[in-house]
Amino acid sequence: MGSEGSGGRVFQHRGGGRDMNSGIGGTNSASDKVSGVTMCSESMFYGSNWDPIVSLGQSGDFGNSNIVSQSEFANNPLVLENQTMCGSLAQFPSDSGLVDLVPRIPGFGSGSFSEMATSFGHNSDSPNFSKGVSQDHCPNSDGGILGASPYGKRKREVQQRASPKSGEEEQHKDPSGDTSKEDDEMKQKFEKGISRGKQAVKQAKDDQSGAEPSKDDYIHVRAKRGQATNSHSLAERVRREKISERMRLLQELVPGCNKITGKAMMLDEIINYVQSLQQQVEFLSMKLATVNPELNMDIDRILSKDILHLRGGNTTPLGVNPGLSPSFPFPPYPQGAFNNAPGTGPPFHSLSQHIWNTELQGLLQMGFDPDPSGSMGPNGNYNRSITFLDAIQTSVLCQFRVVIIVFFRVVENGAIKVRA
Amino acid sequence: MNIQPPNSSSIKSRFAVKFVQAMKRLSKRRGMGDRYKRYRATRAAARVSLAAAVGPERAWSRAVLRRIKKRRGLIGRTTTNPRRNLRGLVPGGKGMDYCSLLSETAHYITCLQAQVQVMQDMLHLSSP
Repeated sequence: MGSEGSGGRVFQHRGGGRDMNSGIGGTNSASDKVSGVTMCSESMFYGSNWDPIVSLGQSGDFGNSNIVSQSEFANNPLVLENQTMCGSLAQFPSDSGLVDLVPRIPGFGSGSFSEMATSFGHNSDSPNFSKGVSQDHCPNSDGGILGASPYGKRKREVQQRASPKSGEEEQHKDPSGDTSKEDDEMKQKFEKGISRGKQAVKQAKDDQSGAEPSKDDYIHVRAKRGQATNSHSLAERVRREKISERMRLLQELVPGCNKITGKAMMLDEIINYVQSLQQQVEFLSMKLATVNPELNMDIDRILSKDILHLRGGNTTPLGVNPGLSPSFPFPPYPQGAFNNAPGTGPPFHSLSQHIWNTELQGLLQMGFDPDPSGSMGPNGNYNRSITFLDAIQTSVLCQFRVVIIVFFRVVENGAIKVRA
Repeated sequence: MNIQPPNSSSIKSRFAVKFVQAMKRLSKRRGMGDRYKRYRATRAAARVSLAAAVGPERAWSRAVLRRIKKRRGLIGRTTTNPRRNLRGLVPGGKGMDYCSLLSETAHYITCLQAQVQVMQDMLHLSSP
């Protein structure tokens, strides 16, 4: 899973990713790594170091290597990585490192940009970040960079163009084929992405699409695990979105995962939950194995259980006896000394008996409940008798109802049984 | 590729029926005293019934049913808890790509929840 970057750099990737440069020095060492990712810590890329980087970025290709560091893992479950020329470069002990970085960028840019597009696109779907970045860096930079980079960024833009929500397969389009319209679109998207990256980095929730980032936005480009830099940005993005969507689904399934906003932690939670469920099943099966000698009742039980589940929302109507099955919809009736066994039929015998018993208990409880409302008065007996009759009627009806319900359930289950 | 999430109640009823049938057969079988064997058989019955209730439309249920047909160690998987790896937990998770693994996990979790509920209810009903 994604590893937390050292030195404050946040390295996020879903699949396990490439070995990202954990340090600025790393960028120097691994030109090939540069193609993968350059991580800039948040502290690094803010502003102050822009100038030296800008100066270094005068090379035309440098513009392509804009990298935005994504240090907020929480905000972006998917790692967005773009190359930034700021920040991380600032930490370079000398600009030589940056210089080393620069020439490699073109090679990197071609492939990584698509990744940047995909990764960045996760947040903003704006492949235009290259352009935006250049513009972002514009304020400090000369026109040289701007002049140099836009063309270089055009390359990226075109590649990124492929990854936008339109899902066009332009990623492999020749860089020279960009159009001004695309540039505009990309610019807008990119700036939106930039702003997003900024808010990810700065936690500033400004979503101005054209907002000029005050600081340099670092977009980390993260290479997927086992994938070359030239992988299809579009496919990557689609895959990422699928995976994130499924993670969200899982997040809803697993209880208590609303607060967790990290993929690694989510996966841990999921694993824990699955393990606990499986252990529960084992435990229950052990109990059932020892406790369950009578299986004749089980089908009835299960049917009743289904009924209970169907009526699951009802609070216990018996009131006095919460211990009874809570979902019986039958209202409590006054005490009735009924002992007639429910003779609804052999298959329902146990079920109705069960229900009957519970209801009877409820009735008994109700009956013995001291009624302050005056049924104990001179009319108490009268009331009692009336209620007794009522109880008889209602209990019979109740029983009928129970039978009917059970019958329906059996029919339903019967169909299932047949199918099964 | 996204199949609809499972209908919990239908899975519950199907699983309940199959599991009860399996338990009946189990109780009639000889050599099943109150022993560890019975527990293992119950556990196997639970897993098989769940997979059978789900049917072949899911990769994990297919994997479980495949394992039965091969007569391999169906039971030993969960007792010795595998390493904390999602692929090891979800049946058939080893040969899947990540995307499908996640969706299978989601479905598997739903089915496990249904199974747990049914078994709990059975337990409560059989010995109130």
